[in-house]
Amino acid sequence: MLDLLAQTGLNAVYAASYISLVAVGLVLIFGVMGVINFAHGELFMAGAYAIVALYAELHLPFFVAVAIGLLFVGCLGLLMEKALFRPLKDNPLGGLVASIGFLMILQALAVMGFGVRMVHIPPVTQEVIVFTEKVRLPVARLYVIIAAIVLLSALWYFLKRTKFGWALRASAQDPEAAALQGISITMTARIAMFIGAGLAGIAGALTAPLVSVNPHMGHSVIVTAFIVIIVGGVGSLEGAIVASVAYALVHTFVTTFYDGVLADIVGLSLMLVVLIVKPTGLFGSADRA
Amino acid sequence: MISKIVKSGLTRRTFLKSTAVTAMSAGLPAASLAAGNTIRIGFLAPLTGAVAAWGKPGLDGCQIWAERVNAAGGIKLGDGSYDVEFVSYDNEYDPAKARTGATKLIREDGVSFIMMLGGDTWPGVQPVADKTGMLFSTLLPSDLSPDTNTLIAPAEVHPIYNVTGVEWLAENKPELKTAVMCAQDDALGLPSVATYLAAFEAAGIEMLDAPLLFDPATTDFAPVVTRLISKSPDIVCLDTCYSDYVHPIAEQLFQQGFTGQIISCTADFYDQMIAKTSEEFMEGFVFQFPDFDDPALNGDNINFTDPNGFYEAFNTRHPGQWGAVSWEYASIMDLWKAAAEKAGSASPDAVAAAMKEGKGKHAFGDADWWGTELFGIDNALVGDWPVVAIESGKARIKDFRSIPDWYAKHGDLLIKHMQAYDQMWNQRS
Repeated sequence: MLDLLAQTGLNAVYAASYISLVAVGLVLIFGVMGVINFAHGELFMAGAYAIVALYAELHLPFFVAVAIGLLFVGCLGLLMEKALFRPLKDNPLGGLVASIGFLMILQALAVMGFGVRMVHIPPVTQEVIVFTEKVRLPVARLYVIIAAIVLLSALWYFLKRTKFGWALRASAQDPEAAALQGISITMTARIAMFIGAGLAGIAGALTAPLVSVNPHMGHSVIVTAFIVIIVGGVGSLEGAIVASVAYALVHTFVTTFYDGVLADIVGLSLMLVVLIVKPTGLFGSADRA
Repeated sequence: MISKIVKSGLTRRTFLKSTAVTAMSAGLPAASLAAGNTIRIGFLAPLTGAVAAWGKPGLDGCQIWAERVNAAGGIKLGDGSYDVEFVSYDNEYDPAKARTGATKLIREDGVSFIMMLGGDTWPGVQPVADKTGMLFSTLLPSDLSPDTNTLIAPAEVHPIYNVTGVEWLAENKPELKTAVMCAQDDALGLPSVATYLAAFEAAGIEMLDAPLLFDPATTDFAPVVTRLISKSPDIVCLDTCYSDYVHPIAEQLFQQGFTGQIISCTADFYDQMIAKTSEEFMEGFVFQFPDFDDPALNGDNINFTDPNGFYEAFNTRHPGQWGAVSWEYASIMDLWKAAAEKAGSASPDAVAAAMKEGKGKHAFGDADWWGTELFGIDNALVGDWPVVAIESGKARIKDFRSIPDWYAKHGDLLIKHMQAYDQMWNQRS
């Protein structure tokens, strides 16, 4: 039983890692720009397809492909900011609708470029860390865990300890006051989009060899990310991380000890309970909600 | 844009006239095809999305079949020979889109027969079938019921043939005593769960746990696999999981240290699974769908024309894309062609009547129309089915097993488990 608990715990840590990367990116974009980016799951998908193109087809080293994938998806974020969100910033629903359109475009491009079927990606490594006979951590999963810890720590440092980070937070709290202090709202929006999209992209890139890469893989990711940011509090980075861990723990343990269908129901119930008890989410504030 | 064209010297009248002519000429090819010596067959299956692996390779196989038949003189009916043309519609495994597609194929394309994957999409199409009397085929006989008079399941009796794999395992590897199973919670997964449960019970193999169902949207299978192997089973059964699930589950089984027997309905693109695990890990993986270059398919019992040549042509055109359904829709067309030529007509009623006269020429041997007990109607063609195992990285047919023989001995178990999962024809909604 201890082995089962330990293995399930490791599975949950992995799940929390990639979910938090996606959810934090989504929260950052919403926090700074006030836009609900429905295409965030497809940015995750774009990161995965970057690995297909660069690692599986062009045979670049995996981590080089991941780095290029991060930059590529970050640039997709910049494109979205300039082409979609900035022109529609005065339209409350404009950004949301435009992101849904962009989602469909990205899916169609993936179909045109790589076909409709699951794409095969060679394993990055088949090494497994064996704790006991029944407690194992594949090294490819460890990469995702390490990346989440490093990137989210770096993001925390960036936001709390650097001038750009302060500018970003100021823009998120009160854009008009920030602008009066000489902060470029356009620049902070670009930074937020690049980082937010890049986080989704790197999550997709790192997990690509571990999942089925297909043009529709963003659906389940975005649903999970929305549950997480609602539970954590819309606009709260800390909330997104805590909620990612909570959701991953609940979902993984319920799947292992009951079944996967019940796990989805429990995950959604968790969101409903939080909405009833604390409508702003665990770490959200009333004005942001 | 239009104002720019007008400014360039083109008058509005000329513009409208040329547009009308273009529109009319665009419609001409379709009209001429419908009127010429061509029979159109509808292909209504998922060509995109998670289930596309059970649609798109089938369409690719049908195109090869059509070229071969047309080159050999086409289909010979009472009033002459006809070429065959497939008209496809991507239903994305969505019932509403399937209904739209069926309507379009019948009304606009004038097809004579429609092949489907079935499953979740059939309920969307059934009202169209009832209204038009069009003959449909499904790969999933669990779609059949007494109300589906114009629906036939002539290629595979999914999931009933899965019993043959378990029966073969029990006879050839008697040391395997315990099993666990996982499946996606949908119209494909659940009847297959009931079938495997019956097969394991009939074989005296103990289920260590209730089947673990997962949401079809699942992407991370580590928790599923952790649960599956927690009780150290001899056999892990992957049910009728889609290839998007079979691959990551097999990879997780490998990474979490499972070394026992794996059985699955399908193992599409198994070469990729071997690449992600190892040849040793995949050795002995049992499933139900052969590669058609298998020497065992050259026997006299096989009713599929030149299976090895068909496989070669498919792999030349679509390298690495061969899957469970690559041959199935084509084999349905063999049956349809034989029936149409026998009836001398492509009309749905005449073909259906001719098809059900006597034994059917199923790809894996002569077979009987069967199914009243399970489906409420004898519209499934049932006979032998191959058991396939991976040996040294290559799928090889190990045996052909009789489904009716198994059912004669253990049919009560199958009905019991089908009822428990609400999968009998009178229980399905």
